[in-house]
Parts: sequence; C-alpha cells; structure tokens
Amino acid sequence: MNEVIAFWILSAIAVLGALVAVRKRNLIHGVFALLVFFAGLSGLFLLLLAEFIAAVQVLVYIGAVGVLLLFAIMLTERVAGDDGRRMTSRGSFWGLVVAAAVFVVLLLPAAIQQLPPPKAAQEMQVITPSVEELGKKLMDPYVVTLEVLALLLTAALIGAVTAAQGVRMPKEEDSQE
Amino acid sequence: MSLELLIDILIATVPLMLIFATLFAFTTWLERKALARIQNRIGPNKVGIPCTRIGLFGLGQPAADGIKMIFKEDIVPRGADRLFHLLAPILALIPAMLVLCFLPLDFPWVNEDSVKAYLLDGAVIFFFAITGLNTLAVFMAGWASRNKYSLLGGMRAVAQMVSYEIPLVLSAVIVVMMVGSLNAAEIAKAQTGWDWFAFSPWGFAAFVIFFIAALAETNRSPFDLPEAESEIIAGYFTEYSGFKFALFFLGEYIAMFAISGLAVTLFLGGGDGPGLAVVPWLSVIWFLAKIFALIAVMIWLRGTLPRLRVDQLMGFAWKFMLPLSILNILVAGFAWHAEQLDNTFITVITWVISLAILYGAASGLNQLNRGKVRPREYKYAE
Repeated sequence: MNEVIAFWILSAIAVLGALVAVRKRNLIHGVFALLVFFAGLSGLFLLLLAEFIAAVQVLVYIGAVGVLLLFAIMLTERVAGDDGRRMTSRGSFWGLVVAAAVFVVLLLPAAIQQLPPPKAAQEMQVITPSVEELGKKLMDPYVVTLEVLALLLTAALIGAVTAAQGVRMPKEEDSQE
Repeated sequence: MSLELLIDILIATVPLMLIFATLFAFTTWLERKALARIQNRIGPNKVGIPCTRIGLFGLGQPAADGIKMIFKEDIVPRGADRLFHLLAPILALIPAMLVLCFLPLDFPWVNEDSVKAYLLDGAVIFFFAITGLNTLAVFMAGWASRNKYSLLGGMRAVAQMVSYEIPLVLSAVIVVMMVGSLNAAEIAKAQTGWDWFAFSPWGFAAFVIFFIAALAETNRSPFDLPEAESEIIAGYFTEYSGFKFALFFLGEYIAMFAISGLAVTLFLGGGDGPGLAVVPWLSVIWFLAKIFALIAVMIWLRGTLPRLRVDQLMGFAWKFMLPLSILNILVAGFAWHAEQLDNTFITVITWVISLAILYGAASGLNQLNRGKVRPREYKYAE
C-alpha cells in the first residue's frame, strides 16, 4: 500500500515537472522543472529497489546535465530568461503524432508480454539488485565494454578540450616586439 | 504507513537535525572567537544570560543572532524572480540536511533493526549525488536576485563546485576500492583498531585532496570566491536578508558538518577510538569530536590564508588536484594487490615506493604549474 501511494506521488511530481518543463516560456524555470522531473524519476527508481540507478540519476542528470543546461543558457544572450515571445504552435500536430507513436511502440510490447506467473514473481523478489552485483558484472563479463566506453569518453574529453582551445594565436608579446 | 515505521523514522532523523543545528550555533560562536583571537581581538563576549551581566564568554551570541535574523525585514528586489528567490535558501538547506543521514552515527537510542540510511549499499554515491544539488541552489539564488554581483557569485560558485567535485569523488574512490563497499558503515568498520586510511601514504594523500576539495565545495576560505566581499559584495546572497539569509548560513555550516563527517567516515575511522569496548555509545562522541577537529582546521585556515584568484582556483583543481588524484588511484590499486600478499617486507617496500611516487608527483606538478614569473616591474615607483 505504501508503495502504491509513493508511486502515485512520485509519478505526479514527474509528470507535472515534465509538463511545466515543456510549457514554460522562461528557460531557467523550464530547466528547473526538468530537474524536478528527474528527481521524480529518481524516486521511482528507488521504489523499484534500483538504488544505484536512482543515485546516478541524481548525480548525472540533476547534478551534471542540469548544471550543463544552466551554463548553456547563461552563455546565450537571453540570460534574463523570459523574453516575452509567444511559443509558436506550428508543428505541434506532428509532435503529438510522434509522441503518440513512441508511446504506443514502447507500451505495446509491455502490454502484449504476459505477466510472470505468481511463482516466478515470488522468486524474483528474492533477487535484490545490489551495487555489489552490478560492480562484479561490470568488472567480470563486461569489462571490455567498460574499457571501450572509458576510451570513448576520454577521446570525447580530449576532443572537447581541443575544440575549446581553438586555433592557437601567435603570442601577443611576440607580435608587439 | 504504519505508525511504528513513522516513529522509527522520526527517531532516526529528528535527533540528527537537532544535534547538528545546535552544533551549528556553537560553531558560529567558536568561529567568531577563533578568528578574533587570530586577528588579536576578543570577539563576542557580551551576550550571556539575559537580564544579568553574566557574559559566559559570549555563548549567548548565536541565540541573539538567531532572534535578530528572524525579526529582520525580508527584502526581495523588485526585479527578482520571487518564487526562485524564496526557493533557493530552502534548496540550499535540504540537501545538506539530507546527507547527514548517510553518516554512520550509531546513536544509542536507535534500535538494531530500525531504518538506517547509511546501511544502504550505495550510501557514499548517494552522499555525493545529493551534496551536488547545493550547486543548483547557489545558482538559483544568484540568478533569481537579478543583481549582477549575485549572478557573478552564482556563476563563480557553479564553476568552482563543478571543478572540485571531481577530485573530491576521485579521492573517495580509493577508500571504496580498498574496502570493496560503498556502504558507509562497512567503510567505518574496516578501519577499527587505529587502522585508519589516513595512516597510509595513498590514504593520506587522498585525505588531503579530499579535505581541500571539501573546502572548495563548501565555499570555505581560501576558496570563498563566490562570496568574495572585496570583489562582489557578498556574492550569490547579496540580495538576501532576514531569515532567508539565516537559512543560507545554516545550510553552509550543515554542509561543512556533512562533508567533514564523510571525511571522518572515509579516512579517519568513523567512530573508532579508545574506550569503545567499555562504553559503545562513545563512538558518537568520537565521531563528533573528529568532525570538530576538522572544523577547527577549517576555521584556522580561514584565519590564516588569503583568498585565491579565479585562475589559480581553476588551475589548482584541473592541473594539480585532478592528475594527482588519478595517480593516487593507480598507486592505491598496486598497494591493494601488495597488501593481499600479506608479507611485511613487501608492505614496507610498497609504502616507501608509493610515498616516493606521490611526493615526486606532487612536487613535479607543483614545478610544472609554477610557470614563468617575471620579476615585478615598477612603473611609477623605484
């Protein structure tokens, strides 16, 4: 019973956050609403006993992605946030169609798939997804994947630094002298 | 929700809030006194018991400050975003309070089988995830005030916190590697009997990196650029007054306690200390005493060190702390394998080699980053 109440509260938070994030004209408000959505999602993960994913959701999405979004907004001209322009409704019909299509595609397999029999469900409850198990899986069978991902991220980081550095200008001191 | 669970939760959380709020009041007094002594002043010494002339070394000062804060006018700038201006101090306090429950404090009145958040498998990850939210509160305050100094302070705070979070987490990784668990209680238990992580070369290096990064994370001096009085008035809380300001203040100090508590858990043995076999609840006292030792060092540093420049701040995080903490992880990995062999000779060799590597790396990085400093040229003075 507790779980059901918690589920509804968290879902309401997530859905409201997402709605506000989409509808708000003020960019900063929108970002914070998106972060509320992420927080609700993290709570839902916690409810599913996926505590590691819940923590990473907070760490990566709220902590890193949120700050990144705020930085991006601050670096653009519309720092004040509300620029008073009306949102254009052009293309909203097709947006709705795509959203509905994604919803159906994601939901249909879940609906078609049969629920596990009660016995299997009981057995499933015994397995608790723990961080330790996850770490062992990452280090033993999936270690190559992890390394490749690490390499990819390192390459991306170096690329970002190189791009940020830009073309090296001749030093001012040299040109003056 | 069953009543027992509710009572359990209240027993686990309410004392935490009360104890740390009380400690906050005491710490503000301690900080003012200590800073005053460092600057050759006396500090608060008048406020004691009301209606008498008993001073009590000014211990009543926090209460007087609190009353003043509550009755002060709450001013919101005309152009400010009223909602975010209100939410920011609350958002600053909540994560700081929340992470306190991940500290392995064994209160004697908490039952064996009741709710304990620090027994979570990912307690340390949760700690870092939730402390990271503080950045958002600071940004929110800076943006919502619609004041250029606030915004500058907020931007500085975000850049600083994002940069220093990396060495902070990387230095904690060493302890997690050594123990093989993210559970705060397990980590504290692995260090019982003076086997603290701060007493090994890699652990000590990690502890120092962690402590410096923690100073930056909590905006403590010498990393208090987001609230640099001489440059940007008061930084992100320039436009805050009254109780909202008090909430920021409280949140900052609670965050200090929380991060010191994590440092104690990770490197200083948690509640480990003499006399535990006789009186088990002494572990709480030891834990708080260690937190206070770290806070005392923070106050001492605030009284003695000047503030960093912005470029020094960023360079220190990315060019010194980050490479050193990555190297330290490597060293700790080798050291762990050496410890598995359980041979005294190999252990001694490992200690010597890792000490040499870490010292060499630190001084080498120092040399590399020093740069070419030309002698200062005086244009108008000889």
